Amino acid sequence: MIQTKRLTKYYGNLAAVIDLDLTIEEGDIFGFIGPNGAGKTTTMRILATLLEPTRGTALINGLSVTKQGKKVRRLVGYMPDFMGVYDDLKVFEYLEFFAAAFGIERRRRKSIVEGVLELTDLKSKQNVDVDSLSRGMQQRLGVARVLVHDPKVLILDEPASGLDPRARIEIRELLRELKKMGKTIMISSHILSELEEICDRVGIIEHGRMVFSGSMEEIISRLGIQNKVRVKVLNNRQKAVELLSALPQVRQVQTLDDYIAVAFHEGQTGDGIIARTLVNGGIDIISIQPEKLKLDDAFLQLTKGIVH
Amino acid sequence: MTAVLSKFWKVLNPAWLTGPIFGKELRVSSRRRRNYVLRFAHLILLTVFVAMVWLTAVQLYGRPSNALQSARMSQAGIVIIGAIIFFQFVLTQLIAVVMLSTSISDEIYHRTLGVLMTTPINSLQIVMGKLLSKLLQLILLLAITLPLLAIVRVFGGVPWDYVVSGLCITLTAALFAGSLSLYFSIHSRRAYVVILKTVFTLAFFYAFIPAITIALLRERAPERATLPVLVLLNPFAMLVIKTTSLTAPAAGAMLLCRWWWHCVIMLACTVVVLARSVQIVRRVALRQASGQLRPESKRRRKRRCRAGAGTQAEQSYGPVRRVRGPCVIWKEIRAPIIQGADRTNSIIGLGIAVAALLVTYAVCMLNRCLDDNTTQVSYVLVFVILGLVVNIVPAAASITSEKETRCWPILLATPIDDWSILLGKAVGVVRRCLPIWLLLAGHVLLFVGKGYIHPVAVVHLALVVTWLIVFLSGSGLYFSARLRRTTSAVVANIALAIVLWGALPMLFGPVDAIARGGLLSERCMSANPFVQAVVITHGAGGAYNASVALSQLRYEWPGRILQTAATTKILLTTWIIYVLAGVFLAWRAKRLFRRNIF
Repeated sequence: MIQTKRLTKYYGNLAAVIDLDLTIEEGDIFGFIGPNGAGKTTTMRILATLLEPTRGTALINGLSVTKQGKKVRRLVGYMPDFMGVYDDLKVFEYLEFFAAAFGIERRRRKSIVEGVLELTDLKSKQNVDVDSLSRGMQQRLGVARVLVHDPKVLILDEPASGLDPRARIEIRELLRELKKMGKTIMISSHILSELEEICDRVGIIEHGRMVFSGSMEEIISRLGIQNKVRVKVLNNRQKAVELLSALPQVRQVQTLDDYIAVAFHEGQTGDGIIARTLVNGGIDIISIQPEKLKLDDAFLQLTKGIVH
Repeated sequence: MTAVLSKFWKVLNPAWLTGPIFGKELRVSSRRRRNYVLRFAHLILLTVFVAMVWLTAVQLYGRPSNALQSARMSQAGIVIIGAIIFFQFVLTQLIAVVMLSTSISDEIYHRTLGVLMTTPINSLQIVMGKLLSKLLQLILLLAITLPLLAIVRVFGGVPWDYVVSGLCITLTAALFAGSLSLYFSIHSRRAYVVILKTVFTLAFFYAFIPAITIALLRERAPERATLPVLVLLNPFAMLVIKTTSLTAPAAGAMLLCRWWWHCVIMLACTVVVLARSVQIVRRVALRQASGQLRPESKRRRKRRCRAGAGTQAEQSYGPVRRVRGPCVIWKEIRAPIIQGADRTNSIIGLGIAVAALLVTYAVCMLNRCLDDNTTQVSYVLVFVILGLVVNIVPAAASITSEKETRCWPILLATPIDDWSILLGKAVGVVRRCLPIWLLLAGHVLLFVGKGYIHPVAVVHLALVVTWLIVFLSGSGLYFSARLRRTTSAVVANIALAIVLWGALPMLFGPVDAIARGGLLSERCMSANPFVQAVVITHGAGGAYNASVALSQLRYEWPGRILQTAATTKILLTTWIIYVLAGVFLAWRAKRLFRRNIF
């Protein structure tokens, strides 16, 4: 659905995006992450037809964002990182204005706007002046706006910034709903735990270059991270370490704070072996918990943390 | 006592008064390229201006003897200094108004005013820091011309008193205009609204009140008694009389009061405006610090309570209106004529304007001068000047204001084509300036009906007004699409008008003289909207002109007297040129829409 090839954007001498290759399949939620100034917003602006790339191509549903801008705009719902609102318009008028801008017939607009207001829980605010809404409410309105023309592709730049925890959860649920409806979503956020929960694939960008793009499983394989488990025991911790270290499947055993971290060799697992070994050794087990790779850890390992 | 004195000293201490805001503003302004461009442009414009005046006053008109040329030198000195002082007087006020038009609104919009209130900085320091930092830029502009003034003074024999008084009058007038702009910027986010409010307030104080007072008191009190008081309150009049007294000392005798009294009064007025600003800034800052988004008038609060809508921050009044027709045009028409003023306030504003106009009619009727063509010329000229200002500013702000509020990228991310956006914006600009032009139309039609203006003037004035609207809207849209900041776009559009209708005719004057018999200056003057308005109304205004046949009307164009047909030909030619130029600039604006989005 979204494809870029050697996409490059320079601002004067500053390279914002360099040779970016990206593919997002239809119906995917793609998390776009990177440090500040990495080139996320520039990429999204190019895809939303607001910036011309210096070189390279960007296609949405097979349409070139540079040559077929108007057709692309019909397909895309773009929500910028900082959203402006028109003064002196009410919430309903604001949404209807954009419905009209996307060419929706007048007789259909009312029901569409009401539907979108319902979906984003803004129904009670429809008669309120847009510029008097709180930041979080304006952010919700932004989401409502991008949905008004029922686009196939949603490009959301930090949609959860400024939202309270409840609203964040609601946005997450909304994105899941949209995925079920078959929308392709490209989303950037600094709250990686949220992306981890909803994204099918992630792209990590730094210095304008894509350092990784793929699913969470692919990240694990790329980082060479083996399966790990956390073991908590009630007594005789030292003996437990000795017993676990002697197991042939185990590569490394570390004692950390109040638990023991056990790393297996590649392709090996063994929660059952651990339990059996410890019980046979007369050690009382509190818990055995698999340790999952978090997106935060992957992000820290893949990026250097240097901004432009 | 000591405590009071030390507090007094603290407030007067420049270091405390200017505070960190002043430092911040200076650091920011020193990085801004536009300030250097402004100084450079000011210097270039001034040099060209002086060169033209000098060439006109000394060099041209034949080859005089050395003695005659020496005699002319002193005359030229007076003319040059007078011209520079007037040039600076107008320009510094204009720049002060534009520079301070976003001074407080920027802080409010970026929500930094509330943050400032959490520091030991107080509202007086905020206001003074903003004002003085911009004032410093203005003083720099004035200082640039000091060496020039000094040289011309030495050779031209102009008294120091005039140079010093001219600069002081300029500075105090700029300070007052700037403080008014700062005051209005607390209430309006948009620069163009602030600029318009300031211009109208200044016009009210400097033109409307003196005109009405003089007209009302003309028969009851001798002019000699009222004029000094009015001059004392009006920097334009003060400077005119000071300048006239250089060549005609009798005019100086009219000044029963000294210029420094005028400066003291202007400073006092500035202090009053600033004191009120300090008071309001504190209120707005505290409101922002406590999380309230914007002030709510008593009337609005009542309406909200009646409607039972949301929290105090969320405001809701008036019915929801459905989008009809092209959406950009709908939005532009839906927006109030003046930002922040709803329909009722706009109608009240228009009502006040009409009432003011009727008051002037009543005063003119008392003085039996409504059927005089000079009176009609004054009316039309005032309308054209106001219409010009009202057209220039919203046109230049139409796109930049959307860029500043970050709505522009959202609009461009929709499939609306650029022509529709351009058309919508143009409709919005025309709508915003329409009230002034409608007032002019109403005035002209009323006096055509009364038999004080010839009907042909309606057609002629319509031609002038339409090309003016098309051209200024086109140029405003162009600058608005090209530049990022409203202030820059407004300055650019004003500068274009000044160059076209002020600087170019002056430039062509000496060129014509050098070319001996050249007509560039005359042609250029003939295409000037003010000249056209004056010529049309002078030729077709007044009871006598209104009653004669079309063929008997005589129009006094620069350097020639023409009949109606020839006048129409000039007006049509100008119309075609400026309308084409306006359309071309609007088309260029459309091409720039997607170049400077962020």
